Amino acid sequence: MLECRGITKSYGRKTAVDHISLKLEPGHIYAMLGPNGSGKTTLMKMAAGLVKPNAGDFFYQGNPVGKESRREIAYMSTEPYFYSWMSAGDVGKYYEDFFDDFSMERYLSLLERMELTPDLKTKALSSGMMAKLKIAVTMARKAKVYLLDEPLNGIDLLARDVIVQTVIEECGPKVALVISSHLVDELERVVDTAIFMKEGHLVLMGDIEELRMERGKSVVDLYREIYGHMGEKAD
Amino acid sequence: MLQLMKYEFRKTRFSKMVLLAITAILEVLFLAGIFLDWENGIGWGTIGLTFCAMIGVFYIGLESLMVFHRDLNTKQSYMLFLTPRDSFQILGSKVIENGISLFLAGSFFVLLGMLDLSVVMAYYGELRNFLDMLRELLSVFEIHVDVTTADVLFVILSLLFSWLMTIVTGMLAVILAATVLAGKKFSGVVSFAIFLLLTWGCQSVMNLVPELPGLLYYLPGIALALLFTVVMYLISGWIMEKQLSV
Repeated sequence: MLECRGITKSYGRKTAVDHISLKLEPGHIYAMLGPNGSGKTTLMKMAAGLVKPNAGDFFYQGNPVGKESRREIAYMSTEPYFYSWMSAGDVGKYYEDFFDDFSMERYLSLLERMELTPDLKTKALSSGMMAKLKIAVTMARKAKVYLLDEPLNGIDLLARDVIVQTVIEECGPKVALVISSHLVDELERVVDTAIFMKEGHLVLMGDIEELRMERGKSVVDLYREIYGHMGEKAD
Repeated sequence: MLQLMKYEFRKTRFSKMVLLAITAILEVLFLAGIFLDWENGIGWGTIGLTFCAMIGVFYIGLESLMVFHRDLNTKQSYMLFLTPRDSFQILGSKVIENGISLFLAGSFFVLLGMLDLSVVMAYYGELRNFLDMLRELLSVFEIHVDVTTADVLFVILSLLFSWLMTIVTGMLAVILAATVLAGKKFSGVVSFAIFLLLTWGCQSVMNLVPELPGLLYYLPGIALALLFTVVMYLISGWIMEKQLSV
């Protein structure tokens, strides 16, 4: 469904993603794990067609990602990106104007669930409210692939549950969902496949149950094992 | 592309409304000056409206460049580049919206100027006589001032197309700074130097065109400005499509 082959991206002398090849299939929820600077965001941005690779390519349904793939791939950036003049309602209208798979009805219901209202100005939102708005507008699309970059950042515990619930509602046999997060233990409950990235490389990818069976460790323990020496700890 | 253009217009709506409000205030000042025989009002109104027209059209172009720079260099870029539209459509919507805005603003100020002149003519009948007398006086010295409405329109069209060409050249410079020069030292200075060089190059080519008689005089300039605009747009779109990372 979504595949990259030997993809590499450098920023000056720093290689953010180094010759990564992987394949994402529908019907799975992937956790993309790794500390800051491991290349998760760059990899997601290349999948969304926002960042051009130096080598290799991302393919969606066999074609290089670009204008057409963006019709079916929903990407949620970790940073706020809405125009400052927009209200939450304007954000919905914008998505409705550009994405055929966007449902305004679902968006309004998600806003309500997130305790947001359409009249709220985006520039006045707290980071937590902004994170909820981004989730609401992204998940109001009926996309085939969802790429969610740090969706739980800056969100309190109760709101996290709402967001996780909203996200997994969209899962189905025809949908692939990728979530990157530092909150490994939160993700372990909902994902079925883990992708471990380190310094731009893919170090491990596999079914969580199989990893548990083979290595006798949970995802949290694997995270500690892989990144622990770098001073990173699972939250 | 219409959807993109709609949002391009929305991004600059506030400044256009401010321009319109200032123009309205100056117009009131000008008309009050005429109807109340208040010379200062006429003077300040005329000067203000003239500056408003010139600076307004200049600013509309400049603002589109500033918006474009922000659209490429901040996270707001995702709003454009996550949509199922390619770089040519995204850039095209900006160029067309800016071209339409420049044309509408230019036409608006020309019409307003003509309207104000008509009001002056109607109110001060002797002004027409004075202008006729001035024309006759100049003709004695073999200076013929026969400026027609068509002349005025062609001059304004030439200026607008030339300004649009400059804006698209500026967009190309912004794209170069964000792509092939990204992360390099002095990328801003280099891209600005490229902009100056391209503008000078285009202008030099336009100066080479032989002068044609009558209204044909303006056509090669307009056609060349349009051609350069299209060429710059195609180069810019291609670089964006191949190189741009946001």
